[in-house]
Amino acid sequence: MFKLSIDGRIVDASPGANVLDVALANGIEIPHLCYHPELSVSGGCRLCLVEVEGRPEPTTACGLACAEGMEIRTQSEQLTAMRRAIIDLFVSDHPLDCVTCDKAGSCLLQKYAYEYGVTETSHEKIIARTLYQDDNPFFIRDHQYCILCGRCTRVCEEIVGASAIEIVGRGFESHVATPFDGPMIDSSCVFCGSCVQVCPTAALLPVSRLGKGREWEMDRVKSICGYCGVGCEIEYARKNGDIVYAQATPDGPVNGEFLCSKGRYGWDFVSHPDRLTHPLMRRDVAYELGLTDDPWELPTESPLAVENPQIEDSFVPVEWDTAYDLIAERLAHTVQNYGPDAVMGLSSARCTNEENYLFQKFMRAGIGTNNVDHCARL
Amino acid sequence: MQAFGSGAMTNSIHEMRDADCVFITGSNTAESHPVISYEVIRAARRGANVVIVDPRRIPLVEHATLFLQVKPGTDIYVFLAMMHTIIREGWADATFIAERTEGYDEFRAVVEEYTPERASLMSGVAVGDIEAAARIYALGERASGTSIYADAAPENGGRGHSTILYAMGITQRSNGTDLVMTLANLAMLNGQIGKLSTGVNPLRGQANVQGACDLGCLVNVFPGYQAVTDAEKRAALAAAWNVETLPGEVGLTVVEAMHAASEGKVRTVYVMGENPMMTDPNTNHVEKSLRGLDLLVVQDIFPSETAQLAHVILPAAASLEKDGSFTNTERRAQLLNPVVQAPGEAIPDWQITGEIAARFDAKMGIERESGYWYYNSSSEIFDELATVTPIYRGMSYARLAGEGLQWPCPDAEHPGTQYLHAGKFSRGRGKFNPVHANDPAEQPDDDYPLILTTGRVLYHYHSGTMTRRSGPLDWRDPGGYIEINPVDAASVDVQDDSGVVVESRRGRVLARTKISEHVPPGTVFLAFHWRESPANVLTQDFKLDPVAKIPEYKVCAVRVEKV
Repeated sequence: MFKLSIDGRIVDASPGANVLDVALANGIEIPHLCYHPELSVSGGCRLCLVEVEGRPEPTTACGLACAEGMEIRTQSEQLTAMRRAIIDLFVSDHPLDCVTCDKAGSCLLQKYAYEYGVTETSHEKIIARTLYQDDNPFFIRDHQYCILCGRCTRVCEEIVGASAIEIVGRGFESHVATPFDGPMIDSSCVFCGSCVQVCPTAALLPVSRLGKGREWEMDRVKSICGYCGVGCEIEYARKNGDIVYAQATPDGPVNGEFLCSKGRYGWDFVSHPDRLTHPLMRRDVAYELGLTDDPWELPTESPLAVENPQIEDSFVPVEWDTAYDLIAERLAHTVQNYGPDAVMGLSSARCTNEENYLFQKFMRAGIGTNNVDHCARL
Repeated sequence: MQAFGSGAMTNSIHEMRDADCVFITGSNTAESHPVISYEVIRAARRGANVVIVDPRRIPLVEHATLFLQVKPGTDIYVFLAMMHTIIREGWADATFIAERTEGYDEFRAVVEEYTPERASLMSGVAVGDIEAAARIYALGERASGTSIYADAAPENGGRGHSTILYAMGITQRSNGTDLVMTLANLAMLNGQIGKLSTGVNPLRGQANVQGACDLGCLVNVFPGYQAVTDAEKRAALAAAWNVETLPGEVGLTVVEAMHAASEGKVRTVYVMGENPMMTDPNTNHVEKSLRGLDLLVVQDIFPSETAQLAHVILPAAASLEKDGSFTNTERRAQLLNPVVQAPGEAIPDWQITGEIAARFDAKMGIERESGYWYYNSSSEIFDELATVTPIYRGMSYARLAGEGLQWPCPDAEHPGTQYLHAGKFSRGRGKFNPVHANDPAEQPDDDYPLILTTGRVLYHYHSGTMTRRSGPLDWRDPGGYIEINPVDAASVDVQDDSGVVVESRRGRVLARTKISEHVPPGTVFLAFHWRESPANVLTQDFKLDPVAKIPEYKVCAVRVEKV
């Protein structure tokens, strides 16, 4: 560890750290677009320019290795002018339609244009990349908003290991592309949406959030993913109680900002019309109890052989009390006539700790059997 | 568990990126635990060696430095031969063996029989690759760059940090317990445990499978892995739960219960959020067993294939609709928050179970203190479970907020445990279990010439009830397919995406083909997500692992024919 000074503040740095990392870690804001703490340094956006005592020209903080005794200035008239000129160039081929843009409120280019007072470009406005690609239900690619910062291509290669996209072409034709500009599904993309997560603008957006509200109209709730055992933290953005999109945050204790396709996009099953919404009793049981007038028998055909089984064909809705009473009655009958070990309880690795605890307590302290298992083995 | 004294990932997920060698076997990490594969990618990019032992050419092989493609069921020969080589070449960690372990001599005598040449004949892997894997793992060799760990420096012994990741490819075998003990032996032999970025790390497949095990939803243990056969533990739990006695005999596992049901010994099955019609081996037998029950209760969020056979179905809230806690594969308990409202009359499972328990008591005429089965909140249940679960005793909702806590966390001041067995194993000394190789229970023959191995694909989860009802995921992977090598496809005269019948001694399923060199000749792969091609109709339930009672999903004999 050694010390250096940033804006007059003495801060600690370890060998190999860059000035931008150290500044951000100490709460000193330096504007940056292409830099991301989890990715390799690209230095392409030039926005993180700082002045170094003893050097004639400003240099990018992300590419500047800390050194003992270094004196850094992050704010000056010169730096403001240079950063404004950079933003001016960025907006020369970026639509300033923030009034309708879905990313407004969380767009980094918008943030810096606001901070540096850039309302329009001073250059000729040419929207070079007009490609709009909506070839999959996970995310869209709207290239007019792309600033070629390369965060998406780096995350895809460096974190996900998929290397599905890269920046191709030169000058105004350069754009982020799959091999031969083919559809996403034909590339090595794994639809994890990490590119969408790190995109600073509206170039990559989840399909689910298109036109579904402004960032400031949404509230956010964090929970833990219900799929595999990694335990990723997911932040759900909601409007009027419905999920608009899911993302991760740097605070996720296990996953940081990264998720897989199931975690990021696989939450829509919760509102699927097949959801069970009331207790159901099989028709033959309901008939025995006098709840229906039609005698019925369970078909001998396997449920797996029925192409699109309709639950209403075999079950009738009942009150909770009716369902509970039948269960209690038959459970008691089994225990009284065949003993507690004639009962088997299957709990679930998709249920909570509390639910699993209570379930096994019921089986052991209530029924009196150790026949309690779940799909740990399956 | 038998080797170290606890059954969970020994180390933490974040440590993997700093490992010098990542050894992966029986885990298709990039598809089943994608976010853990991101850690492996990071490690590889920093110069770690990534060594993979698997029958399938899984996606992570692209990032591996060494890939040992074994014939299904023969990996144990490779592991034994790696240890043989390590001992022969003097790469083992003699200090660690002497100070931290027991049973080494007996173990060494067994390993002597397993030469790399023998393993090569059995597995089809070259001798040189087995020896290279042994050296890289034992010494924690990097592919490039320098280790962040001081003890990896030549002047400090020069042993880098190697970590083992494994999953169901190891455990879903008729000798799964032997395999796990073998991996534990491998780690102990080289002192690759009890330090950062080392250890033996089972990747658990479901959101709360670790928690369900921790909290006693297993036939042989109370919460916190306290044996039901231990009279003292029984008495303590009985006192805590205010009951006179608790059952002391190990119960029936799910597969055993299906056999017992078909014999009329089990009459009632209460299922909370499971789908045995899709996930248990030998589906035709499972279905017969379930149909014969006096009562089948299924509590779920969707009308699953199992629910179709139930007498009563109860609507439950999904994990996005409730609070509570999950414990992840690195032993980290974390809090859930309700994100959306449960539909209709669906309620959290704990409320349903509590009500069933109370009404069962009433029917049985059992009297307990009022409110015994009724809780006001998940948090109240958690406080109770913490009192009877030693590894959770120091946890509470207040402490879980934020980053959660990793067990063991024995008291309210304890910070949780990032990695296990530092300095000392849970059971004292680590035990080398002398393990011999055993072959899979069912071998291919003239009638059933191919080996079927089952597993998952990236876009689907378990029995598919959730992911197949997700628009984007279903779009990406809409239907079931069987992976078959071009050689085998040619021999049964099928093209890509043609219909085939897959048949085993248990049953037959229809599937579409996906011709792929990811599976070696002689092996086919079918995921178990697809109700139209249900893999478990084919899998065997006659020979389970004798200790863990896990079915051998990873190996059974089948034949494939053109429709």
